[in-house]
Amino acid sequence: MPGQSKSTVVKKLKSTAAASAYQKQWFLGLKERVEAGEDFAYLNADVPMEILRAMDIPFVVNQWWAAICGAKRMATKYYGLLREAGYRDDLCSYCATAFAESLDPDDHRLDQEGKPLGPWGGLPHPTLAITRLTCDCQSKIFELFAKSHGADFYAMENTVARTVPPNWFELAANDWESLYDRDRLDAAVEELKELIGFLEMKTGKLCDRNRLIEVMELINEQERWYKRIRDLIAGTRPAPVTVVDTINAVMQAQWQRGTRWAADHARGLYQEIQAHADKGEGAVPGEKYRLMWIGRGIWHDFGFYQRFEEKYGAVFVWSMYLAMGADAYIRNHVEEDPLRALAARYIGMEDFLHMPPWNSQWYLQQARQNQIDGVVYMVPENCMQAVEGSYFIQRTLEDAGIPVLIFHADPVDARKWNAKTMAGLVEEFIETRVAKARQPEG
Amino acid sequence: MSIRPCALQNPVFCRLKEIYDNREQEARRLRASGRKVIGLWGADVPEELILAAGMQPIRIYADPGGPMEEADTYLEYAFDPMVRAQFQKVADGSYQELADAIAISNSTDVLIRIYLYLRELNRVEQERGLPPIAFIDWLFTRRRMHQERNELVMKLFWEQVEAWAGHSVSGEAVREAAVICNENRQALRELDALRRGERVHITGSEMLVAIGSGFFMERREHTELLRQLAEEAGQWPQIAGQRVFFTGSMQTDTGLYERIEEQGLVIVGEDHDWGGRSFDRDYNRNYPPLRALVDCYMLREFSSKKAFVSQRVEALERQVKAVKAKGVIFYTNLYEDAASWDYPSQRARLEEQGIETLHCAKMPWPLPKEEEAGLAEQLQQLAGRLEERQSAAKSGEGESCRLSGEGKLAGRLEEGGRGYRCQDNQSQR
Repeated sequence: MPGQSKSTVVKKLKSTAAASAYQKQWFLGLKERVEAGEDFAYLNADVPMEILRAMDIPFVVNQWWAAICGAKRMATKYYGLLREAGYRDDLCSYCATAFAESLDPDDHRLDQEGKPLGPWGGLPHPTLAITRLTCDCQSKIFELFAKSHGADFYAMENTVARTVPPNWFELAANDWESLYDRDRLDAAVEELKELIGFLEMKTGKLCDRNRLIEVMELINEQERWYKRIRDLIAGTRPAPVTVVDTINAVMQAQWQRGTRWAADHARGLYQEIQAHADKGEGAVPGEKYRLMWIGRGIWHDFGFYQRFEEKYGAVFVWSMYLAMGADAYIRNHVEEDPLRALAARYIGMEDFLHMPPWNSQWYLQQARQNQIDGVVYMVPENCMQAVEGSYFIQRTLEDAGIPVLIFHADPVDARKWNAKTMAGLVEEFIETRVAKARQPEG
Repeated sequence: MSIRPCALQNPVFCRLKEIYDNREQEARRLRASGRKVIGLWGADVPEELILAAGMQPIRIYADPGGPMEEADTYLEYAFDPMVRAQFQKVADGSYQELADAIAISNSTDVLIRIYLYLRELNRVEQERGLPPIAFIDWLFTRRRMHQERNELVMKLFWEQVEAWAGHSVSGEAVREAAVICNENRQALRELDALRRGERVHITGSEMLVAIGSGFFMERREHTELLRQLAEEAGQWPQIAGQRVFFTGSMQTDTGLYERIEEQGLVIVGEDHDWGGRSFDRDYNRNYPPLRALVDCYMLREFSSKKAFVSQRVEALERQVKAVKAKGVIFYTNLYEDAASWDYPSQRARLEEQGIETLHCAKMPWPLPKEEEAGLAEQLQQLAGRLEERQSAAKSGEGESCRLSGEGKLAGRLEEGGRGYRCQDNQSQR
């Protein structure tokens, strides 16, 4: 069955395992807090979670949780539940997973052997569900999710950039007033104030300005380590690690950003990778081709990334998860106006990834810095939010001599995934285009 | 039903239909007369501003079935087919002859992407010579800060309109244009009353022609024709049949409505932007122009694309009650998915009111010939259920009849990919 097709994954770093272990421990602690009656928020990834961190409101991020559910291969069950409830089962898998889970009567139950039936024992019932309006479906799904859990629903608006200096990655850390239209930043600050007002009323907790600055500084510390890691991998051949380690290590810690643990974990991750680099230990000693992965991770088949290492020496060295940490998150001089600095972070997330030319120019700059030989670009099958001008991205990279393979797949729904077929596409791409592009002319 | 001989023999209706059927010709004529023509893409571009600047608004639309080379090159397949066809027509240069500029409103996330793509296309392929394009970044969430932000958004668009017109546009000119637009909306409402009322004198298809023709002609003339038509159509034969409300994808031609009406169903209202939603709210002349524009376009009835599920449930119930519809047809094109998240909650609320529903999602546009029979069968079944209910209500046996119909109307279901999928509300129990 295509849905059972899966590759074997081998992770190398202790930091990756440490991140996974911490996540489980943290999740248990979160459940205890929720069971003790604390408010608990469920957030979309582009919601400025720094506010909740500063207010010590426990939260889970939708994309991280969808990835967990995807890795646990819950899709067939969950989309069946959606269908039974009268919903379509072929839409918005990334955002609909948690809503589908909320329809699962077994989510918090144990099987006969005492093992939990829901992923990690199931998501605790949130009291808050917060999203941004970055696609037509998302707010509807979050509202349904909130209603299903009996949570309060809150939506934050999204605005579209008029000014688009292509070198956003050079401006974001210090010069955000030049990067964005001023009125967009003004509006985003107002959105933050409204959100804070809502959260303070709901939870009775203060959004302490001093604490927010501390959180923002911790995030800067963490993301600076990611920048060093990205630069280290970019400049080291063979690469000391692949995306199999960096995606997991970074994504999990990214949702813990603003904590001491996350900043320390990022430092540890850097040190571990640096040690491998110092010893000349490549993740794939026979590294021949360096590949870039554009798109969300294939959470249900992470070993897929490693299928091309032995046969071709083709190594996935780049994904957005680490590189976004390096280029998109750092905001210096936070203390001057923490809310404006935060606004300058969260409104860019949608633009950097999904708006040409910001995404295409960044991918090109990253491909060059990371000595990329070929790009594999996964376009999701059922997500308008992730529609991002694939033509322009492909054209920008290929005009620069970097071949691109576009294929369609779903990051969390394994039902239509066939690793063999997909691997065949990548193999053909390596053989016919990547290898050819690397051959010397004449 | 559909478009009846009484309509086709009426000179006023024929004038409207002539424009409706020959949209491009009318746009060309307007442009040849020396007026600048602005293409409106999205349902929330304030026509008052365009008219106040002495320019003519026309709606961006596309005929189905044409070549799609540009769309296939630049757009991912997740764009719905109607938007793909519209994009094709803009990108292939067709609108260079028809419009001096294009204004896009963010009435749906798809149009935001379209704007970003066209902007980028203009940057990387300047030789293509696309018309100038502006974007209206409305915020539709109903909070004070968003209403205030929208005033800035409108101010920016006002400045853009002035730049296109080559002269300033005064607030007084906007107010005067608003009178023209409000009179037009009022005339549409008066005509619409002939299909919403107890006695129905105008079909949904006929109403689509009356509404859609206005998107391509001079507003005052349109208003005058509508007024004449309202007087005359009131004398047209009364239409018998089961009253239904249509919700879902925009219908830019009468094809689907005609198929629905062929089954004895009477479309007494709809909530799409080439239908009743286009004239549901006036410009309030008591407000200063910027605030009035925001009020008019931000606070119209909730659209399926830019509203929460709870808002859409309330909106649909409100509209269905207002027109006393006994059935609701949910119909959305392939990849036009947002409304699919509303549907189960809307259906549940309607069922509480005893309203029958038919759900057709992932519908190809245009509908292929081989799919027509399947759709007709579903519509026929809906008509049959509505008739059963009516008979039962008359004989006081409503509940027993409802139960006896259970299970015999299994809708056609197709999983994944292409093909349409219709579900009636009984087959899902």
